[in-house]
Amino acid sequence: MLPVISFIFWLLIIPFCIGLIPANFIPAEKRSPGFVLLSGYFGMWALFEIAAVPAVLWVEYNNFKAASAVFTVLTLFCAAAGILLLCRNGIIVGWKPFPVKSLLTEAGIMWLIFFLLLGFQLYRAAAFASFDGDDAYYVVESLIAQEAGVMYRILPLTGGSTGLDVRHAMAVFPMWVAYISVRAGVHATIVSHVVMPLALIPLTYLLYYEIGRLLFSKTRQAGGHVFQKQNLPSFMIIMAMFQIFGNVSIYTNETFFLTRTWQGKAVAGALVIPALFWVFMQIYDKGVKNGRTDAGIWILFVSVNMAAGVCSSIAVFLVCILTAVTTFCLAVAERDWKILFKVGAACIPNVVYMAVYVFMAYSYLLK
Amino acid sequence: MWGIFLESVVIFKNYMGFHQNHFLAGIYLLVLLYLWLVEKDRRRRILFVYAPTLILFLFFCPLFRKVFVRLMEDSETYYRLLWLLQMSIVSAYGLIRLMGKHRRIGLAAVCLAIVACGDYVYDSEHISRAQNAYHLPQAAVDIVDMIEPEEGRITVLVPADLIYYVRQYSTDIELPYGREMLIARWDYYNAMYEAMEEAEVIDTPVFAELARTYPCAYVILKEDREMEEPLTDYGYSDYGRVGEYVIYKDMTLQDS
Repeated sequence: MLPVISFIFWLLIIPFCIGLIPANFIPAEKRSPGFVLLSGYFGMWALFEIAAVPAVLWVEYNNFKAASAVFTVLTLFCAAAGILLLCRNGIIVGWKPFPVKSLLTEAGIMWLIFFLLLGFQLYRAAAFASFDGDDAYYVVESLIAQEAGVMYRILPLTGGSTGLDVRHAMAVFPMWVAYISVRAGVHATIVSHVVMPLALIPLTYLLYYEIGRLLFSKTRQAGGHVFQKQNLPSFMIIMAMFQIFGNVSIYTNETFFLTRTWQGKAVAGALVIPALFWVFMQIYDKGVKNGRTDAGIWILFVSVNMAAGVCSSIAVFLVCILTAVTTFCLAVAERDWKILFKVGAACIPNVVYMAVYVFMAYSYLLK
Repeated sequence: MWGIFLESVVIFKNYMGFHQNHFLAGIYLLVLLYLWLVEKDRRRRILFVYAPTLILFLFFCPLFRKVFVRLMEDSETYYRLLWLLQMSIVSAYGLIRLMGKHRRIGLAAVCLAIVACGDYVYDSEHISRAQNAYHLPQAAVDIVDMIEPEEGRITVLVPADLIYYVRQYSTDIELPYGREMLIARWDYYNAMYEAMEEAEVIDTPVFAELARTYPCAYVILKEDREMEEPLTDYGYSDYGRVGEYVIYKDMTLQDS
């Protein structure tokens, strides 16, 4: 029972409380539970990057324990700050009792179909094992951190000692898995293969839901079509079908999402990159009153950028490309060149990450 | 430059599964074309039309590929640039626009098209019913339970099909070589691996001598693995069996 409580605390309550911080800096009517939880997750991973990457690079002994201590303090502080802000300022909209009657409508039936598809994916994730050779690296790294209290100082493939492999060492997602495992007192392999899919698959669909909500919730005239709320369950069904039948090759982000959900690169492809779409949709949907993007969205943007670094070193580069491409298009379309500087400033964590990466990877040349 | 472009075309075809007659990318490209024609909302055009098109352009641009590979020091991950297309989100959005008011019939047709053009992920040969909460083969778990020391670590020689799993269960088990030996294109060499996996028949004296250089406290072999002479003639005892695997303990190692 204790591990279950611990998982609920670290995978639901803590990120939710952290998410209250950016939620406090957006208009009250936009503060949905989905926004709070998702931004909380990205915020939590950003905090983990702050705690773990310096420890990986510059603490030699018991670096996982040091990073864990710092991360615990940071998360609890931010969670407390989030609660404080909620008590002082905020309300969260979107808490409505589930309308049972609506189950009998067309939209209700579509939602039912979507939840069946989601439930099926969760069942397959929990009851079936998906072999992936990279687990011999990533899952074992998590287990080493849990059992030996060290990060990236032991070769996971064999157990020998090793020098720092910067490319993998700066992507600390396996260490976050190890942290959750330690807090819950559950073997890191079980957490990776069972708990993570059960947490990350619904979280990913929550993101798709939020994207769909932005796309379809308002009745708006666009290109001669009327978008309605009923389109949202259709969108979710198509998204679920794409994931389930997206295995056209072993390389697609859909394949990664359902066959190696617990690996950082899968999280990057299925959650972090779509989150950038979500953020951009909100940046573009500027406040009606003063034409400015809410500060909470910028906090979220920075968090998503930092979360990319937690997931994978390449993900940092990928989000930079997507950011550059979309911002360039936006600047041209809107004749708003200031946006380049604003978005550029939000990408500073990525620049720092890449600078540290390059410095660590090539520092031997300076010796 | 032309050669680099052609390589990108091959990567694209492999990613999209064209060679296996999967055409989910066809749906995506048609939707992208459709959105080019009908999407009027300027900001949505940026995200759902211009950005994916520019990314596709960058993907096929030889100069961009050269820079990417140089920066990442890795050409094998270039396909991940295609993750930025977010095929599912763009397709779902465009398809719902296309359906318009014909939602029910449209959704049914779209789902059928996805099933026809895609590939069911759970059909993968790499997915099987979990044998335990670790999602590891039960044989790997049982073997480690039998040999795991109460304190410290030991080195164990295991067959190739257990290499991925043993250390996912316990990091107290070390291996003379790991997964790196199983990836042919990485082109590593390890004498112990050659003696264990590559030799048609295990040359027992050489094998035992190599194993003791690590030293391997236990040697796990499949019961049908051919050996010139039994390992028990070289200081090993038959410690136990788990399924098709025989566990040999090196009796010359006092502390094991």
